[in-house]
Amino acid sequence: MLMVRKPIPKALQFSLGIASILLLVGGYTVFSHGRAVRQKEVAAQQLDNVRNLLSELLATPANELDPASLAKRQSKINDYEAQITRFEQESQTAFDRTVPTWSSLYHDGLLRVLSPQGLKKDQYWLAEDAWATFIRLISGLGVGVALSLIIGILMGAYASIESFFLPPLSFLAKIPPTAMMAIFFILVGTSFQMYVTMIAFGVLPTLAQSIYQSAKKDVPENLIFKAYTLGASSLELIWNVIYKQILPRLIDAVRLQIGPAMVMLVAAEWMVSSAGFGYRLRLFYQRTDMTVIFVYVLILGLAGLVADYLLTLLRRKLCPWFGD
Amino acid sequence: MSSTRPNCVLHCQGVSHWFGSNRVLNNINLEITAGQIVAVVGPSGCGKSTLLRAILGTHPPKAGQILANGHPVTRPNRDVGIVYQNYSLFDFLSARDNVAFGLMLDQTTLPERLFGYFQWRKLRSQHRQQALDLLEKVQLTKAANLYPHEMSGGMRQRVAIAQALIMEPKILLLDEPFGALDEATREELQLMLLRLYEENLQAKAAGQTPPYTILIVTHELNEALYVSDRVIGLSQYHQGGANGATIVYDKQAPVFKAGDARDFEQFEAQKDELRKAVFTPSATRHHSEFVTFWNEHDKAFAS
Repeated sequence: MLMVRKPIPKALQFSLGIASILLLVGGYTVFSHGRAVRQKEVAAQQLDNVRNLLSELLATPANELDPASLAKRQSKINDYEAQITRFEQESQTAFDRTVPTWSSLYHDGLLRVLSPQGLKKDQYWLAEDAWATFIRLISGLGVGVALSLIIGILMGAYASIESFFLPPLSFLAKIPPTAMMAIFFILVGTSFQMYVTMIAFGVLPTLAQSIYQSAKKDVPENLIFKAYTLGASSLELIWNVIYKQILPRLIDAVRLQIGPAMVMLVAAEWMVSSAGFGYRLRLFYQRTDMTVIFVYVLILGLAGLVADYLLTLLRRKLCPWFGD
Repeated sequence: MSSTRPNCVLHCQGVSHWFGSNRVLNNINLEITAGQIVAVVGPSGCGKSTLLRAILGTHPPKAGQILANGHPVTRPNRDVGIVYQNYSLFDFLSARDNVAFGLMLDQTTLPERLFGYFQWRKLRSQHRQQALDLLEKVQLTKAANLYPHEMSGGMRQRVAIAQALIMEPKILLLDEPFGALDEATREELQLMLLRLYEENLQAKAAGQTPPYTILIVTHELNEALYVSDRVIGLSQYHQGGANGATIVYDKQAPVFKAGDARDFEQFEAQKDELRKAVFTPSATRHHSEFVTFWNEHDKAFAS
């Protein structure tokens, strides 16, 4: 058996990473093209059928038919010819929006969300949805982080506040936030404030708990005593010692809460919004049109990676002492 | 209780402490005058840490009173400095800022720093200069910009000592300060303490108050006798030991200079005496047998 934790060369590390991505992209390519080819075959088959039906119909003599039957025959011929035109086109360019090919993703997905849409050609889907979702996420996270920071640090600093907040926080942290949605919809409505409240309350129990844990564990008692011997006031102890010490953990905790916040946000947008990623995903889901959906999913994934990276960068900048 | 003598920076009056039915400290009376370097030794579990925490003010004694610089100690404050065994530096500050940290906390308040930003910036550069000067004294100028995790144990402990000294505390407590260090580093830091003691002597010769008063808790008898000028033994092995540990040994220790040879031979006899008086469970004599009553002497040697 291969030795556990056996180091591998850098080149192998790198190529394995590339390989997994290629596998994903290649798998999708094969899958979507396979479907497209099959669909072309089906169209060709149907084309043959219709052509046969048409030639059979044309082969039967039409001389002794009365005018009514003649008209009927003519309309049937027209119908067959229309079908032939359609299937001829389809057997050339199969059109599948449930597993779109890369070119379909580009033309029907990416270009569509980037170029103006709607009757008046004044809607830019991606820009509008991204802005709506982003501003909700940032506001909700901002409020949530601020509240969690205050509660978490005070819990770590004062036993009385710890005793008071710990039971409700432990309880609330166990409720799946999506299960609370109905409550938010009814109590706060479906306005912008609802999204902020929902995200803030959704991330608060977990975030406040991890800040509190960090404020207790990462700041040893001795360090606190030491700060007092250096003349610190309790306010200075909280700001200049506890806050500074837990800052990197705080940034990491926020980074990890972006995911859950997005889950809640997209779900709520799916249900009650008229703008945002969740809203657009629902619209296209109802049409079983995956072109835009796949593009949005890709964008969401990439945005998540970028947010992750930016917060890591921020942590390195603000807390050079923390290392990686 | 006797009244506090002049120059007395630490006065423990009848200090006792217990946890439930477990009696730890029993009626401890101790005076330390400015300029002394006092080593506290004792068997493990005798309450050295309890005494230290009581003096520091984090865990006040259940009976008795502790005066630092004439004021009762009820919580940790800037008169009593502390250096812990595990360094306890602020991870998020460089060596220099760790040392300057106390000046900032002691001389300014958070609102002052926020609202008087420009004044604070000026003061801050003074603080950082002072910190650099002190780092030079503990031979760490090169490490001034390193963070604690980038430094070795010995370097960190020197930063911790500088961090405490910059406050000019009335008394500095060292809690097993060199316990985690290797032998060579330990010796270097012991020499550093001897140099501080020399400064004390110079100040006294010049008629000034000696600047450094240090209480060092250690489990190493050689270290205790080498760096200190007074050794105190805390032990539960005495008559009435069931009520907790008390001071069973209090004598002058030989004074070394930083340049002297580390000749431990010359205090072998005192080491034996210490072992007998402090560390031997069968030695349940009266606790005053090995204790010097400094009030009965005309002048204490270090003050």
